[in-house]
Amino acid sequence: MNNNKLTVSHAPFWHDGDSLFKMNLNIMLAALPAVIFGIIQFGIPALGVIALSLSSAMVWELIMNVISKKKISIGDLDSALIGLLFGMMLPATSPWWLVITGTFVAVVIGKIIFGGIGANPFNPALIGMSFLMLSWKVFFDFDVAYINYEFNFTALAPLAALKFQGPAAIADFFPLSDLIMGKQVGAIGSTFGLGLILGGVYLILRGYIRWEITVSFIAGIIVTALCFSLANPDAYAGPVIHLFSGYTLMGAFFLATENSSSPSNRIPMFLYGFFAAVMIILMRNIGVYEDGTVLAILLLNVVNPLIDNIRPKALGKGVTNA
Amino acid sequence: MIKRSFFTLSQPRLIYDSVEPDPKEPELIPIPPNLILLLNEPIDNTRQALVKKGDAVEKGEKLCLYNDSTEYTISPVTGTIGTIDTFADDFGNTSTYLIIKNDQNQTSQIDSATYDLKDDIISADQYLRTLPGAPPLKNIARGDVKINTIVITCADTDLLSTTHQYAMLKFWDLIKEGAQVLKKITKVPKICITIPENSNIHGGLDSILLFKTALEYPSNLPAMVLKDHLNMVLPAGKTPEDIGVCFITAEAVVSLAKAYKTKSVSFEKILTVIGKQGARYRVKATIGTPLGKIFKAVRILANDQDRIVIGGPMMGYSTYTLNHPVQPEMDIVMIQDKNIIPEVSDDPCVNCGKCLRICPTNVPVNILVRYLEADQYEEAADKYDLDSCIECGLCAYVCTAKIPLVQYIRLGKHELLKLRADV
Repeated sequence: MNNNKLTVSHAPFWHDGDSLFKMNLNIMLAALPAVIFGIIQFGIPALGVIALSLSSAMVWELIMNVISKKKISIGDLDSALIGLLFGMMLPATSPWWLVITGTFVAVVIGKIIFGGIGANPFNPALIGMSFLMLSWKVFFDFDVAYINYEFNFTALAPLAALKFQGPAAIADFFPLSDLIMGKQVGAIGSTFGLGLILGGVYLILRGYIRWEITVSFIAGIIVTALCFSLANPDAYAGPVIHLFSGYTLMGAFFLATENSSSPSNRIPMFLYGFFAAVMIILMRNIGVYEDGTVLAILLLNVVNPLIDNIRPKALGKGVTNA
Repeated sequence: MIKRSFFTLSQPRLIYDSVEPDPKEPELIPIPPNLILLLNEPIDNTRQALVKKGDAVEKGEKLCLYNDSTEYTISPVTGTIGTIDTFADDFGNTSTYLIIKNDQNQTSQIDSATYDLKDDIISADQYLRTLPGAPPLKNIARGDVKINTIVITCADTDLLSTTHQYAMLKFWDLIKEGAQVLKKITKVPKICITIPENSNIHGGLDSILLFKTALEYPSNLPAMVLKDHLNMVLPAGKTPEDIGVCFITAEAVVSLAKAYKTKSVSFEKILTVIGKQGARYRVKATIGTPLGKIFKAVRILANDQDRIVIGGPMMGYSTYTLNHPVQPEMDIVMIQDKNIIPEVSDDPCVNCGKCLRICPTNVPVNILVRYLEADQYEEAADKYDLDSCIECGLCAYVCTAKIPLVQYIRLGKHELLKLRADV
């Protein structure tokens, strides 16, 4: 009773048309304003670092696909995104081997050995970053990195200056307008605050990152920094410099929101974002690191599976007589 | 197909179709030479069946396989039985199909057999189970749980379908009559009607509660109607009948009213047909008509690798043959061109959480699917609410990784039932 060969599958028969490729492409597009600004600010070396980082991340995944005899999965752009975010966190003067080592750690150790896309418990780009920061600390001293550059603004890395000179000494060096418009020394993609904010807002509106994480993250920075600052204004700076320097904005919009290492229920998202930010300020104000963003978010990645258990009760569970 | 909107800060909204204000008569599909009837009972080769090839059947004759069968079907035409064979569904459950050769000399005007219908549920269940709209008389009659509420659904449960709404608009008086018939035969004290909130039906309902349901999917699904309008929570893994609520479609109520008036049954099922470009048709076809005939009548060309979906885009099922017959409970048939069938993938979950936020029953789909992929059905049910899922399909609709989530869930439930049966 069968003439035509029809397609048979299960419900639902519709899909909203979204895909991993589109999601990652959009996140990369949103990061572009900050990247392009960084390239303009720091010149061709910055372009080299970004290009090498992006391409080497994809090549590492390709190599691992071939070695492990899995289907080629670079088409979903996940490694490209890891490479781009990783490159954005590097200073423009990073040597080539540093970039390639970093993307190896990020993609292979941070993602592939855990099972590939979706299985990574930590943000892969941050795994790569933390590895480099602990191993070759000298390359991440932004004051040294840009020693041969001429800038028309204060050529001091804001957070390092804050750490070693105190808030009073640097009070006039970093006006808010300079910080937002990228007139500061830092990593390629992290200096242009306005670009990061625009990209992040775009992603929130498109539904590709979760606003709960970003909003609570920023709130956490402001609240914690304000508490420190009010308690001892001589020793601790206010929220503005913390928010618009270092990796903070990248963290809020691009790093803490990485899908598989962050919670997806509402209350856990708020807790995760807030406490990641609290840890950042604690590390900056009390710890030895100038910028604790990388380690703070990694720390909260560890807590993620635990707090993501706070979830609403499913329909009809625990009801004995309805 | 409704695609993702550009800005999706809020949830995507899937809106039920509304019936056009003054619907024209559905296109009548002529009775085909061969009708196919499904009988929900497998063939037992060791026993002598009551019906066999070559038997003559009358219009309205009740057909069952064996003497002690509880399942039956009713022949919509006078003719002879052609083939009796096994029909398998997507989970491998078997039932039986009968092909009835329509006696061409007879027209559809011939009177159907009349029945001795009494005002009780047992008598109704004996003859009226296969009425257009498939009234769930078997569930009401089964007796182990007492049904105390009947909900008549004039709001269609799945997207695109307007069959129930059409019945509501055209046969409102018959629905009211049917509700009284229901009350009389079932002795159920509470009868409610769901209507879409934008419909302008009002008044004239004595002792019947009117629920206006929201226009956004999935608010017309039984579990949602229970929650929103009856303040009842459907316990995980239970059906509405288990807690004393029975859902019956508007069309079934209309056919019930007609059946009690004429003491005979009708066989003409109203169907919403959705073409490849989304064109909407409404047809009236005799139960047992192969779907291929309907597509031909409304001039839809079904090609290889197209997909025929019965029961709506979110909760329906697809068939492998154009000979799939019109069944009493079938409200909507749609056909998708092979080029627009969305693909599924074997990518793993990336934990983006879209499914969690859209799930109407708060099932942690992102964690659940990991257990289901690893065949850990017991844990999935105990810790991650497998039983709470009402299979509305929204999670798989929004899934970024295009995982066939509902397929995993249905398979999980199926396997779990087998596991529990073994214990």
